[in-house]
Amino acid sequence: MNWYGRSLASGFLAVLAGLGVSSSQALAQAYPTRNITMIVPFAAGGPTDVIARIVTGHMAQTLGQTIIIENVVGAGGTTATARAAKAANDGYTLITGHMGTHAASVPLYPKLAYHPEKDFEPVGLLAGTPILILARKDLPPKDLKEFIAYVKANESKINAAHAGVGSVSNVSCELLHSVLGVKPIGVPFNGTGPAMNALVAGQVDYMCDQIVNAVPQINGGTIKAYAVATPERNPSLPNVPTTTEAGLPAFQAQAWNAIFAPKGTPPEVVAKLNAAVVKALDDETVRKRLLELGSVIPPAADRTPAALGTLVKNEIAKWTPVLKAVN
Amino acid sequence: MGDVFSNLGLGFGVVFQFVQWTPAFLGGTSIPIPVNILLCLIGALVGTLVGVLPGIGTIATVAMLLPITFGLPPVGALIMLAGIYYGAQYGGSTTSILVNIPGEAGSVVTALDGFQMAKQGRAGPALAIAAIGSFFAGCVATVLIAVLGAPLTKLALAFGPAEYFSLMVLGLIFAVVLAKGSVLKAIAMIVLGLLLSMVGSDIETGASRMAFNIPELADGLGFATLAMGLFGFAEIIRNLDAGGESDRQLVQNKVSGLMPTAKDLKDSAPAIGRGTVLGSILGILPGGGAVIASFAAYTLEKKISKTPQKFGRGAIQGVAAPESANNAAAQTSFIPLLTLGIPPNAVMALMVGAMTIHGIVPGPQVMQKQPDLVWGMIASMWVGNLMLLIINLPLVGIWVRLLRVPYRLMFPSIVIFCSIGIYSVNNAPTDVIIAGIFGLIGYWLIKHDFEPAPLLLGMVLGPLMEENLRRALLISRGDWSVFVTRPVSAVLMAIAAALLVLTVLPALRKKRDEVFVESEN
Amino acid sequence: MNATPGQAPVKSIMPKWVRNEQDFVGGIAMMAIAAFALWASSDLQGMRGFSFGAGTAPRMFATLLLILGAGITAVGIFTEGQHLAKYHWRGPFFVTLAILSFSQTIRSMGMIFAAMTSFLIAACGSAETKWVETIIVGACLTAFCALLFPYALGLPLQLLPTFMIR
Repeated sequence: MNWYGRSLASGFLAVLAGLGVSSSQALAQAYPTRNITMIVPFAAGGPTDVIARIVTGHMAQTLGQTIIIENVVGAGGTTATARAAKAANDGYTLITGHMGTHAASVPLYPKLAYHPEKDFEPVGLLAGTPILILARKDLPPKDLKEFIAYVKANESKINAAHAGVGSVSNVSCELLHSVLGVKPIGVPFNGTGPAMNALVAGQVDYMCDQIVNAVPQINGGTIKAYAVATPERNPSLPNVPTTTEAGLPAFQAQAWNAIFAPKGTPPEVVAKLNAAVVKALDDETVRKRLLELGSVIPPAADRTPAALGTLVKNEIAKWTPVLKAVN
Repeated sequence: MGDVFSNLGLGFGVVFQFVQWTPAFLGGTSIPIPVNILLCLIGALVGTLVGVLPGIGTIATVAMLLPITFGLPPVGALIMLAGIYYGAQYGGSTTSILVNIPGEAGSVVTALDGFQMAKQGRAGPALAIAAIGSFFAGCVATVLIAVLGAPLTKLALAFGPAEYFSLMVLGLIFAVVLAKGSVLKAIAMIVLGLLLSMVGSDIETGASRMAFNIPELADGLGFATLAMGLFGFAEIIRNLDAGGESDRQLVQNKVSGLMPTAKDLKDSAPAIGRGTVLGSILGILPGGGAVIASFAAYTLEKKISKTPQKFGRGAIQGVAAPESANNAAAQTSFIPLLTLGIPPNAVMALMVGAMTIHGIVPGPQVMQKQPDLVWGMIASMWVGNLMLLIINLPLVGIWVRLLRVPYRLMFPSIVIFCSIGIYSVNNAPTDVIIAGIFGLIGYWLIKHDFEPAPLLLGMVLGPLMEENLRRALLISRGDWSVFVTRPVSAVLMAIAAALLVLTVLPALRKKRDEVFVESEN
Repeated sequence: MNATPGQAPVKSIMPKWVRNEQDFVGGIAMMAIAAFALWASSDLQGMRGFSFGAGTAPRMFATLLLILGAGITAVGIFTEGQHLAKYHWRGPFFVTLAILSFSQTIRSMGMIFAAMTSFLIAACGSAETKWVETIIVGACLTAFCALLFPYALGLPLQLLPTFMIR
């Protein structure tokens, strides 16, 4: 079908549908002309939700349209992601995915209803929250080196807590275990709150979790942190060494969050959205609020759609062997 | 003690804060506005509305309204969200009593006697006593949080998986006690509820269990879906059997006083007191304590009552005790959040989210770092409870008048409200169909004298029980003796065993007499 | 409702040795549900060493229900009880139809259409329905819901049919 025929057909469809079908060039130029729905596959108030709200709040100003956040929970975020994959690819339905929904889910859920690479257009990386190695406050080891020796010596006695299968704390702990070559028992909890409660109460020995949840507990002295799994120390916990400093450079983990659009969204629309993301990440207030959460803002080179595509590819490659071995 | 007063003083100072409002049209004259009081009122009103509408639960509402609070100052935002939370506890009892639809796990037992009272034309006293009991419990719990919040935190930490498992076993025994008919059938219903709660994904392996590849079942059956089906739809279908309408007319003609009599108050006062104590203690336990508060209170009342046969047939204590326990637990469940920064349930997790968005991440130091926030919230609870009492008592008259709407108009309306409510939880049409199926199942169950309440409780407790059992066994490396060697767990198990014996033995002996009593009705 | 000889004999499809038909049928139904659950959870992993597998708890509860169902059936055989309750088709049929109609139309046709049709279908379930009154009340209720849910409570409900919005 030539261009004329296509636009005729779409014009016909537009009349049928009352207002218009969106995939034509002209409409992509005018984008956005109405409200945008941003699906967040986790509960309101969680780390991904908070980051999505901070960034989209600024993006809405740039784009001149309201961005409505819709929290859809269930099955580790895969329910919502599957829904977003099937949404109209006109740029009016987006999703804020993360490490779990767009990488770890591939090996975790054999019957996944979507594929992070094949069903989505990467738009832009938002911010990541570093993973910490945390332990109950009276666990004997004083630093990461002692902790590693302790875990190896007590592999059959020690308990690791996590916030449920497929959660960030679960998959990052599995990565730690595969780096260390150990298989201690993992005790599942329903979410980060109960897992943290058990750690504070000393019912379990250690866990890996996102920095947002742990900073106040560490500062309050109810739990302790051995290391942060990022290349640099985090400003909110300046005394906690990185895994590289502490002698475990192989353990690098960050719960990254990024915006995706359904496959086939026009490149012009993706470019406009990406520009809005980049602009938001350069804004002083946005930066300040993200840093307050302990999150890491990606450098300029990592903010392009192509860079996000590469990240997703690399992350799937990174998690697949780790999590396949567990199942 | 002096600290408590100065802290509460600070709290009330925050609540009664006035903000000068200088609108342009007044030409520079400023009006003082009590912003936090207004936010508390809005929260309480919205909460009541949400509680009254079947299907729309507290979690969904707080999640929905969370974004609205972003524009508010943090203290005001949290006061409003807290208002929604306990407002919904007040409102939730309304549908339980009027139309036998419990909106939340906490009001399942309220429906047992509350709806019977309504059938006997005593909806007014039932609603009023629920509000009064809730208010009393709210006041006591607020003081408790202020005075003993920090030391009580230790209780929350003393409960590990083994203790929770034992608590849940005890909870299931409570569920047997609250059945009024055959004990065997009640146990079967509990087990059926446990079985239904297994649908979904396994906590340890993530394996899909009995979900038949239906995406809506991947996370299990929702409480609201099941409750609307088994109580709401099933009740409607049953009422549509011949004679439903005339039955209803009978009810309407019988409506007696709106307010409880002196005898009602005297009967329910001790029940309110005991319910408050039980609820306050259980509410502190994160992850499931508050769920069993209401029926623990109901069971206690039924066991110590001189006339246990009245329970399930319109005993006012059966409304007063669980409602007080419910509200006390709702209040004290703030303790782990305020002292540890750990959210004990889904609603509290959303409150943490609200704080995080405002740049406050609650932790063990939140009381020292944000005293105005913490004490402002505590003071607002008391103010909110007072407001709710003032809102709810006059509403009783309106609700009771609603019962006079002819049933032929009432039932399609309930169908619509329930359908919208269920749909709105996940925006999933399949959930509405599932509720419809459970409506038919519920109709069949009622026809065969199976009670739906124990089923619902089994459904709520099932996951908590299984998860904690598995956690406890993982931590103990398969050693089952942890349940009796850990002191708290052993005490709970002993109570459960004693209660079971007390329930089953007389039931076996009295079986014949009871059949006789039933047939005389 | 006891099966006393004085009452008019109720036609029963049950064999004579079933003395409490209610419990007998109820027990058998429970056993059927248990058997179905056992089948549905048969593909799940069992105990792994000391830790529970995904299928352990479901099978445990299903077995328990099977035993309890058998107990209830036994009660149905050995004790005196009631005949099967009478069922009415009209109420269940139209209420179920209303629920189905709502679930099928809410996404595509929006809340106003879904609520109104579902209200009218449900109303067919009662012989006492007066149509003029029902239509007026239904319209008012739909209007009330259309204001309450999306506006007062901020629920993301679509009011109008999809083809009218686009």
